[in-house]
Amino acid sequence: MDKIVLSGLTKVFPTGYGPVAALSSVNLVVREGEFFVLLGPSGCGKTTLVRIMAGLERRTSGEMTIARTDAGKPLTAMVFQEDSVFPWMTVEENIGYGLWIQGVPRPVIARTVSLYLEKVGLTRFARAYPFQLSGGMKKRTSVARAFAADPEVLLMDEPFGELDEQTRVLLQAELVKIWDENRKTVVFITHSIDEAVVLADRILVMTAAPGRVKAVVEVPFPRPRQAYEMRADPAYGRLIHHLWGLLREEVLKAKAEEAAAYVPGI
Amino acid sequence: MSQASERLVPRTPIPPSTRRVAVGEQLIAMVSPLLLIALWEGLVRIRILDARFFPAPSSIVGTFAGLIASGELLLHAGASLKRVLLGFLVGGVPALTLGLAMGLSRWARAALNPIISATYPIPKSAILPLVMLIFGLGDASKVVLVAIGVFYLVLINTMAGVLNIQPIFLDVGRNFGASRLQVFRTIALPGALPMIFAGLRLGLGIGLILIVIAEIVGARSGIGYMIWQAWTIFQVERMYVGLVVIAILGWLAALILDAVERALIPWSPRR
Repeated sequence: MDKIVLSGLTKVFPTGYGPVAALSSVNLVVREGEFFVLLGPSGCGKTTLVRIMAGLERRTSGEMTIARTDAGKPLTAMVFQEDSVFPWMTVEENIGYGLWIQGVPRPVIARTVSLYLEKVGLTRFARAYPFQLSGGMKKRTSVARAFAADPEVLLMDEPFGELDEQTRVLLQAELVKIWDENRKTVVFITHSIDEAVVLADRILVMTAAPGRVKAVVEVPFPRPRQAYEMRADPAYGRLIHHLWGLLREEVLKAKAEEAAAYVPGI
Repeated sequence: MSQASERLVPRTPIPPSTRRVAVGEQLIAMVSPLLLIALWEGLVRIRILDARFFPAPSSIVGTFAGLIASGELLLHAGASLKRVLLGFLVGGVPALTLGLAMGLSRWARAALNPIISATYPIPKSAILPLVMLIFGLGDASKVVLVAIGVFYLVLINTMAGVLNIQPIFLDVGRNFGASRLQVFRTIALPGALPMIFAGLRLGLGIGLILIVIAEIVGARSGIGYMIWQAWTIFQVERMYVGLVVIAILGWLAALILDAVERALIPWSPRR
């Protein structure tokens, strides 16, 4: 079943130097229950695309539909790249925030929150404030907050981008484990090819700005996956190589455009 | 899961050497004002300082005790305190509401900001004659003057507090479909609280300045009145008592504000 359908989606930002196109007629179908990864050079409009899905940005033209299965659920819940955990709420209040906004009764919120506290290993820190947590624990909190809200689609904008490599690999594994339990539709942004291959069912490679669809690549590895063993598989190396081939042109193009756009004195 | 290596931050034990330094600092902080007072007393006794302008601390303490015993001091301090507190309420509550609204709404900001920016620089003491003309010579004019001073500082700080909230937090609210009221309650107000308290602290300082000015100009009670009356009859010790009482009131009010802040902002990492 098709969960998200984008057709001819275009986004133009007005700037002081005239309109700048961030996305140019993106056509895309994300299937129900799929782990869909957006991969592209930095500045290619990945974040804009996901922010449009999240209702945080308006599209300039084109169509977007997200299929609803339950009118009571929020359409999307987003995990942001930056630290977005409310510093003035405890871990449990943060995780329950989406449910509280929906007006879910308190006992139900409490049950869901303790379930997700358990899943992300933060039960001991339920009453802690974010300033008492490490970066990884804050990320777990915001992932739990998104899952607990039980949205139609989960959106993740480079959620692990700011973390160190080891924490990131751990959190990827935890994310896949939680996701495996309910197989929610996920749209996940990354600029890491390895992260894309480890997590995705399908990978969309985007072009340099303005962002368009360059290719959609299937990841053939069966689930449940063992990321550690996967990385030793020759097929993994070939896929990485193939994706880097697609991406390299775009990264070079983006660099060249950046250089051309640079005017000394501005 | 994997938080073996992660723990709550403030558990780090303080090394003994650091603690010794901290105790030493506290000791110096307590001893140095006492030394200064002793020096003062000594200089008056050997007549280097003129006792008419700088009465010995011992004689100020004597006057202090006398004023407490007669109940006069309590009357004046109570009168000033009541006016400052009422002024805080009358000025602070509307300032808080307006500041939050102006922080959240572009329209409210566009409508009110020019008026606020144009009237804020007017010295509040310059408005006193007008305030007395309108509100009379009683308590009302003093309360209003304090309220005006507090109003601007709380309003400006509250608005800045809301405007300084990182947009990401508002995005989270919007993504979950929070209503305006929910955003107000769960994001704008708590996010602005630290700045609101900064505004209250500044307001406290200006409030004490204004109450003394207002009481000097026209009042029958209050610390400002007491200081002015002492001047007219050349009772220098009483003037010093007034200064000490104002200092103590300010210090106590700051302590109370700190305690309220700690209770309302449990999420702030403290030194």
